[in-house]
Amino acid sequence: MNEVKEQKPKKPLPKSRIMVNEQTAKVYADAWAAAEKGEPVGWSTAIFPQELCETFGVPLVYPENNAASISAKHLEGQFIQHAEGEMRYPINICSYARLNIGMADKIKQPGWKKVEPAMPVPTFLCLANNSCTQLMKWYENLSRNLNIPIFFVDCLYNYYEEEPAPHKVKYLRNQLENNIKKMEEFFGKKFDWNKFLEVQKISQINRKLFNEIVALNTRKPAPMNGFDLFSYMSCLVLCRGKESTTEILKQLKVEIEENIANGTSTFGTTPEEYRVHWEGIACWPNLGYNLKTLKKYGVNCVMNGYVTAWDVAYEPGDLDGMAKAYQTSSTNSFSTPSIMDMRTKSIKEFDCEGMLCHVNRSCKLMTFHIFVGRDIIEGNAKVPMTNFDGDQSDTRVFSEAQFETRLQGLVEVMQANKEAK
Amino acid sequence: MYVLGIDIGSTASKAVILTEDKKVFTKAVVSHGTGTIGPNQVYEEILSNSNLKKEDISRILVTGYGRFVFDDADSQKSEISCHAKGIIYLNPNVRTIIDIGGQDVKAIRLNEKGIISNFVMNDKCAAGTGRFLDNMAKILNVKTADLGPLSENAKEIINISNTCTVFAESEVISQLSNNVRLEDLVAGIHRSVAKRVASLAFRNGIVKEVAMSGGVALNKGLVKCLSEEIKMDIIVHEDCQFVGSLGAALFALEELENQSKL
Repeated sequence: MNEVKEQKPKKPLPKSRIMVNEQTAKVYADAWAAAEKGEPVGWSTAIFPQELCETFGVPLVYPENNAASISAKHLEGQFIQHAEGEMRYPINICSYARLNIGMADKIKQPGWKKVEPAMPVPTFLCLANNSCTQLMKWYENLSRNLNIPIFFVDCLYNYYEEEPAPHKVKYLRNQLENNIKKMEEFFGKKFDWNKFLEVQKISQINRKLFNEIVALNTRKPAPMNGFDLFSYMSCLVLCRGKESTTEILKQLKVEIEENIANGTSTFGTTPEEYRVHWEGIACWPNLGYNLKTLKKYGVNCVMNGYVTAWDVAYEPGDLDGMAKAYQTSSTNSFSTPSIMDMRTKSIKEFDCEGMLCHVNRSCKLMTFHIFVGRDIIEGNAKVPMTNFDGDQSDTRVFSEAQFETRLQGLVEVMQANKEAK
Repeated sequence: MYVLGIDIGSTASKAVILTEDKKVFTKAVVSHGTGTIGPNQVYEEILSNSNLKKEDISRILVTGYGRFVFDDADSQKSEISCHAKGIIYLNPNVRTIIDIGGQDVKAIRLNEKGIISNFVMNDKCAAGTGRFLDNMAKILNVKTADLGPLSENAKEIINISNTCTVFAESEVISQLSNNVRLEDLVAGIHRSVAKRVASLAFRNGIVKEVAMSGGVALNKGLVKCLSEEIKMDIIVHEDCQFVGSLGAALFALEELENQSKL
């Protein structure tokens, strides 16, 4: 006789999470509605100046975010295999790219079985290379395969890390203006500069709110499971310029403040024994396992260096400021010492006792500095650091046993450090 | 009073019983690792060698990849901490440990108090591990334990350029078909492992004294190669294979002491 297992009742989602899910569903629904009406619908890189399309009222969906969702649901396999097989893309390129290029081809095929969240076939692409240089080849391939245009914002690499020189700002500003003109032609609409100002204002309100929320996790114990930041960060990726994001973040802030007042945390009832700084993109397909194992050892990854990538700060109305901000928004545009200085500061602010690094097989830029960065962190922040192999979307790279052994090793070092104090 | 430390690795199971005054009472090793009869066999063997019964053991602490699935364990700890503990017991001057296990390579740095300051482990790749050596021995139709003595008679070192275990296998096969001397080929295999392990150790920073732990440290040819690569002497204790289980037993003893203080 089969034993009927009693299922543990699922914890109800907080209101803010329900709002996030609703907002995400609306983003996809709007894109599908536009596609069905034959209207423009775009695919965009994650840190493209979304203010432009938001002003035009043209829907965008985000392949990087979509790839993260698909792989978190363990549905990435068919797309990655299709890209590596029939489409002949090598295993060494970014798994987001493989997944998305595979999906872009699959969704064109008649009768393909939708995998949620499914993106409609785009009519244009928005590309900013501020976070990753591989994006250019990825989007070029999409553009050629789908025969659609790219609105490109070429963010110059900031080698000397100085305040971007005037010619660089001018170059980016001109591209923004040029893209607006081209979009006017492509969308058949005039650009509303007043609405643009409003969108900029909302974007700034949202990024500030998000920063305030992140800062609340400096409290001990943290009112939030640090992995929650990965979920709420999607609001800034998908809807940075929307008022619905403001509402979500306000609600989230209220919930966190309630946690602080009640001495509770979304980390649950597990005591927060260790506070750790996470480095790198989330290991989306293994997020559940990672979290379960972290909780087993009482480790809360209270902060990470990834979620602040959408902190694109500028004064509304200042197009030069906006150009400058998009040029330097991602930490990938900084040198290793600069990135590690930021991490050291963050480790201190969040009172972290260790650092856990995801050596992400897909992301060469975010992995480049891992081992040298480790020495800097050890020297400046005086905390131990360990790394594990994984990938943002490709499940073939991650090993559960490896993750747990290294985490346990880190925990034992942190414990010894505590005892030695 | 006795405590037992067991190190269940991926290719072998090792056990050490300590007396309450931290003296090694008995040791046992079985060449089967986690998921096999190895863990139970080493348990039975060490009890039988010691003329002890299960109830004579006050605490059992398990380490290694099989640490979560050993029924009689009272507690478990990572092999990183256990190797550090074991080495310091054998030689308090050690500051860098290199452990080549079946599927993991570890470089552990210790501070002047013998506490781990940091550690690194291999990437998700079997190159440079004990398993790599086992596979090569199989291809060459020799015992893993014979690799060390064979390499001592090498006249030249054959270059093995592939780090991937599977590709290195085909490279070795192709060298064999060129009638290359077996001894020279084994020396090349050692050099290939040593280069890979040295990179990992350099990544963690190497501080004198350097010691190797784990069964692979019994391979003198490999130790010599590694010592040349890192340009430092490497201490190898005769009980190098038992370092993890010794550390586990020492932790078991500490846990008992802490309990008695409560």
